[in-house]
Amino acid sequence: MEFLSFLDFSFFLLAGFGALVGIIFGAIPGMTATMAVAVCLPLTYALGLHHGLALLLGLYVGGISGGMVPAVLLNIPGTPSSITTTFDGYPMAQKGEGERALRVSVIASVIGGLISAVVLFLFAPLLADFSIKFSYVEKFLIILLALSVIASLSSNMLVGIFSGVIGIWLSLIGTYSISDGGNGHTRLMFDFMEPYLFEGFSLLPVLIGIFGISTILLEAEKGVRSELASERVKLGKSSQFSFSIFKGRLTNLVRSSFIGTFVGMLPGVGGSAASVLAYTQEKNLSRDSSEMGKGAPQGLMASESANNALTGGALIPLLSLGIPGDSTTAVLIGAFTLQGIQVGPLFIPENTDTWYIMMTALVFANFVMFFVMFYAIKHIAKVVMVPKYILYPLIVMMCVVGGYAINYGIMFDVWTLLIFGLLGYLVQKVGLEVAPLIIGFILGGQAEVYFVKSLESFGTYSIFFTKSPIAVVLWLLIAASVIFSVVMGLKNRKASREEASQ
Amino acid sequence: MESGLTSLLSVSIDFETSHLLFPRIVHWVMGILFAIILVTKTIPFLAAVKRGERTIPIVGESMDGFRFFGTLALIVAYFYLMAVVGNLFPYTGYGFLFVSMVFVFLMSLMYMHEWTKKGVIIVLVNAIVAPSLVWFILAKLFKITLP
Repeated sequence: MEFLSFLDFSFFLLAGFGALVGIIFGAIPGMTATMAVAVCLPLTYALGLHHGLALLLGLYVGGISGGMVPAVLLNIPGTPSSITTTFDGYPMAQKGEGERALRVSVIASVIGGLISAVVLFLFAPLLADFSIKFSYVEKFLIILLALSVIASLSSNMLVGIFSGVIGIWLSLIGTYSISDGGNGHTRLMFDFMEPYLFEGFSLLPVLIGIFGISTILLEAEKGVRSELASERVKLGKSSQFSFSIFKGRLTNLVRSSFIGTFVGMLPGVGGSAASVLAYTQEKNLSRDSSEMGKGAPQGLMASESANNALTGGALIPLLSLGIPGDSTTAVLIGAFTLQGIQVGPLFIPENTDTWYIMMTALVFANFVMFFVMFYAIKHIAKVVMVPKYILYPLIVMMCVVGGYAINYGIMFDVWTLLIFGLLGYLVQKVGLEVAPLIIGFILGGQAEVYFVKSLESFGTYSIFFTKSPIAVVLWLLIAASVIFSVVMGLKNRKASREEASQ
Repeated sequence: MESGLTSLLSVSIDFETSHLLFPRIVHWVMGILFAIILVTKTIPFLAAVKRGERTIPIVGESMDGFRFFGTLALIVAYFYLMAVVGNLFPYTGYGFLFVSMVFVFLMSLMYMHEWTKKGVIIVLVNAIVAPSLVWFILAKLFKITLP
C-alpha cells in the first residue's frame, strides 16, 4: 500500500481536470480522445510521471465518453466510437428525451469503464508474467501477430497491412541504433538529411502531426463549416430519468462491456468496431430488439458501455506487451517514453507503484466523468457550440508547443509535425489507414532489433518456427487471423454481390 | 532434401551491413503488397473513374482551396517565423508568443465565414489572451522551452 503516499490532492485534481477537458474534446465533433491526449502532452512535460499519467488517463476516459453528447443531441458522433449511439440517441432527443438519453449513456459508460478496469487489473499482470519469458524470436512474432490482427480487422486486409508496413518503413529511417546492438549506420535517407534525421523521426511529433495537424487540414479542405448553424440543441425535460430503465438490462451491459474490453485488446482496432459489435449483438440476442434504431435505451447501453470499456481493454496489451491497443494508447506510449519508462512485460513487476497509481487514476477518472456528465450535462452540451474558427488555431498552437518542447527545443521536430500532418492527410485521402500505420511506426524499430538479433544468434530463418511451442502457437494465431479476414472478405463480397443482383 | 532446405534458410549476418537487412525485407514486402493492391484495387478503381462512377481523391474532388492552401501557407509561415523571431529574443519564448498571436488571429479570420464586428472582436481577444496564457503557464510557471 506504499503507493498511497503518492496520491495527493493535485493527483486527483489532475485526473478530474483531464476527464473534464477530455469530455469537452470528445463532445466537439471532429476532435477525438487521441487528439486530446496529443494536444495536452506538453502539460505533462513539467509534471512527474504519476501526475502526468493521471492527467492523460483522465483525458482518455473523458474523451471517449464525451463523444455521446453530439451523438445524442445532433446526430453527429463526436468520436468514431459513438456512431452507434446516434442510432437510438438522436431519435430519443427528437422525442424530447435528450437528457434522459444522455443520462442512460453516462451510466452505461461508467459501468463499461469500470468493468474493463477490473479486467485490466486482473489480466494485465498475468499476461505480463507469461510474456516475460519471451525471447527475441517470440517478441518478434508477437509484433507480427499484432500487425496481422490489425490488418485482418481493418476494412480491407491488404490495405491495412500495407499501411502497417509503411509505418514500419518510416520507423526505420535513421540509424540502426548502437544502443540496441546495431552498427550505428544510417539508412533510407540522403546524406544531407543526416543532421536532422540521424535518430529518425521522434515519436511524439509524428503522433501529434498525424492526429492534430492532419485533422485540421482535412477540415480546412471542407471549408471549416459549422454543422450546427441550423440545429437547435434539444435537451428535453430533466425530470424523466429514473434508474428503473436499467431493470433487466444487466446482461446487455455486462456483455457489451466485455465485448468492448476484448475489442480494445486487439491492436489497432478503433472504438467504432467495439460499439458496432456490441450493438449488433444486442440486436441479435435481445428479445425486444424491434425498437432498436427508433430510440430504445438498450441500444444506447450497448453502444456506450462497449466504447468506454475500450479504455481498460486497450491498456492491457500496452502495459503487458508494450503494444498499443488503439491510437490513443499509442500516444500514451509516447508519454511513457518521455518519462524514461519502457512499457513491456517488465513494466508492472518493476513499477508496481506506478501500476496501482494508473489503476487509481483510471477508476477515479471514470467516477469524475460520471458525476460531471450526469449532473452538468446541460452545460457540457453547450460546448458543442464553440466555433471551430476559435478552436483550430489554438490546436495548431498546442501542437507546436508539444512538438518543440519534446526534445528541449528542436525546430526540426516542429517541421516533423507538418510533414506528418501532410502525410496523415494524404494517407486518409487515398484510403490507407492511420491506426495500422502508427502502430507499425511504433513497433517497427523493435521488430527490426528482435528480427536481426534472432537471426544473428541462430543463423537460420527456420528458428522463427522451431524456437519453442509458444512460437508455434503464435504462428497458428497469425494464420487464424489471416484466414478469418479472408473468410470475412469473401462473405462480404458475396453479400454485396447478392445485394447488387437484387 | 532436408539439407537443401536448411542451407536455403540458413543465414549469416555481416555486422557491417546488418542495418540494411531488415529494410531490404520491408522493401520487398512493401513492393509485393503494392503490386497486389495495384492490381486488385487501383486498376478497378481507375476503371471506375474512367466510367465516371468515382473520382480521384484530392485532384478530382471539390475542395475549399482557399482555406486548405491558406492553412498550409499560414502554418509554414508560422513555423518559419517563430524560429526567426525566437532567435532575436533567445530563451524567452517571445518568438512563440508574438508569432502565435498573429497566427491565431489570421487563421481564425480565415476560417470565419461571416465577419461580424462581434465575431472579429472575440477572435482578436482570443488571439491575444490564449497564447499569452499558454506562454505564461508553460514558459514561466513550468519552465518549458519555447521558441
